[in-house]
Amino acid sequence: MNSFTDWLPTLMIFLPLAGSLLLLVTPKTFRDEVAGFMAALTLGAGLAIWRSGGSELFRWDWIPPLGITYSVQLGGVSLALALVTALMSFIAILYAARRIPNPGPMLSLILAMETGLIGIFAAQDLMLFYVFFEDALIPALLMLAMYGKDGRMAALVKFAAYTLFGSLLMLVSIIGVRYLGGSPSFAMTDLKQHLVTGSAQTWLYLGFLTAMAVKLPLWPLHAWLPDFHEQNHDSGVPDVMGTLYKVGGYGIFTFAIPLFPDASLDLRPLLMGLAAFTALYAAWIAFRQTNWKRLLAYAGLSHMGFVALGVFSLNETAVIGAMYLLAFQNLYTGALFLSVGMLQERIGSLETRVGGVMTQAGALSGLTMALWFASIAVPGLAGFIGEFSILLGAYQVSPWLTFIAGITTIAAAAYALTAFQHTFWQARPAGAVRVRDLVHTEWLILAVPLGLLVLFGVYSTPALNLMQPAVRAVLSALGGN
Amino acid sequence: MLQVPEASLTPLLPILLVLAGAISSTLLGFWLSRRTLTLINIGAVVASAVSVGWLWNRDLSSFGGGLRADHAALLLGFVILAGTLMTLLVTLDTAWRARVSFPEFDAMLMYAVTGCLLIAFSGDLIVMLIGLEIMSLSSYVLATLQGSRRAEESGLKYFLLGAAGSAVLIYGLAFVYGATGSLNYAAIAEKTSTLNPENTGILVGGALLMLCGFGFKVALAPFHQWTPDVYGGAPTSVSLFLSTVVKVAAFAGMLRVFSGALENAPGWHSVLAVLIAATLIIGNLAALRQTNFKRMLAYSAVAHTGFLGMALLGTPAAGGAALAYYLLVYTLMTAAALAIVAALQRSEDGFSVNDMRGLYYRHPGYAVALAVCLASLAGLPPFAGFFGKYLVFQAAFQNGYAWLSILAALTSVAALVYYLRPGMLMFMPDRTPAREYGLGQRVPTTLAVALGVAGVTVLGLLPNLWYAFVAHPDIWGMLAGR
Repeated sequence: MNSFTDWLPTLMIFLPLAGSLLLLVTPKTFRDEVAGFMAALTLGAGLAIWRSGGSELFRWDWIPPLGITYSVQLGGVSLALALVTALMSFIAILYAARRIPNPGPMLSLILAMETGLIGIFAAQDLMLFYVFFEDALIPALLMLAMYGKDGRMAALVKFAAYTLFGSLLMLVSIIGVRYLGGSPSFAMTDLKQHLVTGSAQTWLYLGFLTAMAVKLPLWPLHAWLPDFHEQNHDSGVPDVMGTLYKVGGYGIFTFAIPLFPDASLDLRPLLMGLAAFTALYAAWIAFRQTNWKRLLAYAGLSHMGFVALGVFSLNETAVIGAMYLLAFQNLYTGALFLSVGMLQERIGSLETRVGGVMTQAGALSGLTMALWFASIAVPGLAGFIGEFSILLGAYQVSPWLTFIAGITTIAAAAYALTAFQHTFWQARPAGAVRVRDLVHTEWLILAVPLGLLVLFGVYSTPALNLMQPAVRAVLSALGGN
Repeated sequence: MLQVPEASLTPLLPILLVLAGAISSTLLGFWLSRRTLTLINIGAVVASAVSVGWLWNRDLSSFGGGLRADHAALLLGFVILAGTLMTLLVTLDTAWRARVSFPEFDAMLMYAVTGCLLIAFSGDLIVMLIGLEIMSLSSYVLATLQGSRRAEESGLKYFLLGAAGSAVLIYGLAFVYGATGSLNYAAIAEKTSTLNPENTGILVGGALLMLCGFGFKVALAPFHQWTPDVYGGAPTSVSLFLSTVVKVAAFAGMLRVFSGALENAPGWHSVLAVLIAATLIIGNLAALRQTNFKRMLAYSAVAHTGFLGMALLGTPAAGGAALAYYLLVYTLMTAAALAIVAALQRSEDGFSVNDMRGLYYRHPGYAVALAVCLASLAGLPPFAGFFGKYLVFQAAFQNGYAWLSILAALTSVAALVYYLRPGMLMFMPDRTPAREYGLGQRVPTTLAVALGVAGVTVLGLLPNLWYAFVAHPDIWGMLAGR
């Protein structure tokens, strides 16, 4: 047992927060460098954990009389998601520093939110999970308040009310899980040995599920999402963080399935139905959007329906696919939000009906198109492996619902390509401003995620090797399904 | 020959120190300035807090058990003193602006604190009642001291309703005496554990009447109607005092009486649960509609009464610990929030929620501090308000009130919305001229705010610093002194 690797997850969680606080006292000239350095350091810590094959469980009694522990572990699925979070936060910082005037508070908030997100993935104690879950909310709200557009107050209230509605019910469930099961602490290792049984399990699962369904998001608890993205800063940086915040699928996978195995099996058909409906319904609405950000928000919602379908199906292939999609969805949706931000910087609008950008900004258009291909699951890109595994696994559980969700892939191609055509092809309107192509770091910001999407789309073994044992371990709780 | 009664004064030390401060304010007011008196009182409060620490683990009592310096009394007394200290710091700056800058103000404040401590230290119903009346009468005066129509109106309202509440409480007290034949908590608890059936009706009636009386004091719905007017109409520093210290003392009394003396009495649990449910709904929904920030905080204080009350529904061990933790956190965050209002308001009405737009760009320190307080009031981790909320949810849930926990969770969503609006408005850029008082940032108020913000942050990250003291189950099994 290496003591340094035990500390690495803690280091990875709190490095960004330290950076966030450090920014408050950093002189303006070095602010971008310090923020970038701290984000890079966090990513480095994550890669170090990956090299050593994931971390052991680290446990420290945080509040002994309440049975709340500080238990963290990064390995398997959680490590993959933490790495994606660290990478995308780093890219968001690179872009924010260049794009946003007076970026100090924004950089600080990105780093603060990164701590919350990595904490969510690392937490192996339900109360700790809840604490990080809420912590990540505050910077997201502040980003919207400080950098949002005119309608932000309504979007803010909606976002916060939905989130809190879910998470407070989850809090009651968390209390119930421990006391009705009689566990000595909130640590997952203890809770798994003291499962709640019978109808109480179903009720507690529903409480837990509400929070996760808001975060996923799942119809009918998704209404905050489009407004949140539309009202955020044009650059798309807060949207990247918002995309990373969709941790519902992970929460159900890590906590709900092991703790509520019978209830997950009982509710499986219903939940898979909701997920399939969400995927199709969101794709349908995305088709009608003329604002790029709303379009991306609904596209993200549709992908999340896929993730939910995979997780709820409780089938090994599908769950692995769902986690794979969840990780790489963050990459391509995040990068697409940034490309929309770049487009907005050049033409001053988020409208899809612009026309002819391709003729003047070839690189921007090309990279955006490649990212869209990843998004609509073109083979050879990472999105395909995720979606295909989900469909393959879910089909074994419920062919009809999978068929309905499968239609989404066609719908996705339709909305993505239609919008892309309107903006990037067609004729350039007479008298329109000249569109500048990518410069400096903008290349990196779009190309790095795309490179990874290609890499893991062709050679998925490292990521799958990371996730497979974790998924098997979780599903074993169901008793050999 | 006159006999001097034999009484041990050691357990009274914290109360006597505060009383000394009150008396010195009364007498020295002719020669010294009010600021000097306030500084003396701060000294008295700090000395009293030190004596609380000195009495810790001694479990002394006096007057045949009528007054007890047990762990519960000392913990709750400490919370009362913390709130008092913050009030005094704020009055140093704002009393002159609120036109209450005369020695009588300080004297009344310290008399009220004396009453509050008496309630926390009480071992029988009479001592509790004496403390309650000292506290109430002083509070009526405090609410009226400012020579304005609004203050007089709110003070009169407070007095009339408070007097009715006291009358109901005394009536209930008489019933309990009639049913059990004793006023001592320990004796009542002993009687109620082996209940004589023909007295049950009287006991239940007495308990419910006392519940009504206490309902007035802590502002449980439907007895809460005076709070928004009084908290809104009184000078902000007085609102701060009433909504923290006085409420803590009233809850200390409820804890002593209901979780201690009447723990085994039937009936009051379910009625209290219904009252709490009403408080949670009414307090939170009414706060949603407020446009004045100070009134909003008043309704939020009502809503928090509902959360605090949930602790009384837990077992004494879980509920007492939850209440003691929550009361300290509640005092810190409410006092800090109101201190900022007191510093930045242009008139004693407080300011409108919309006036807070862009506060961060004008008073960054206060804006961040207020945001922390609001996040803590809303129950967002890592601030201590979250653990307070969690503890009371848990206490009620464990004792079979799962429905109330769920209701509390749902009403918390409304709470979040009204805390969120001002919290976020502060960070929105704004180009219109400032509407708050420009010269409000002064050292003592800032100190009080820093105390509150540091408190909720540290207690949120390391709740055990305070919870380790209050978590011992034996403390709360001894509420009635058995």
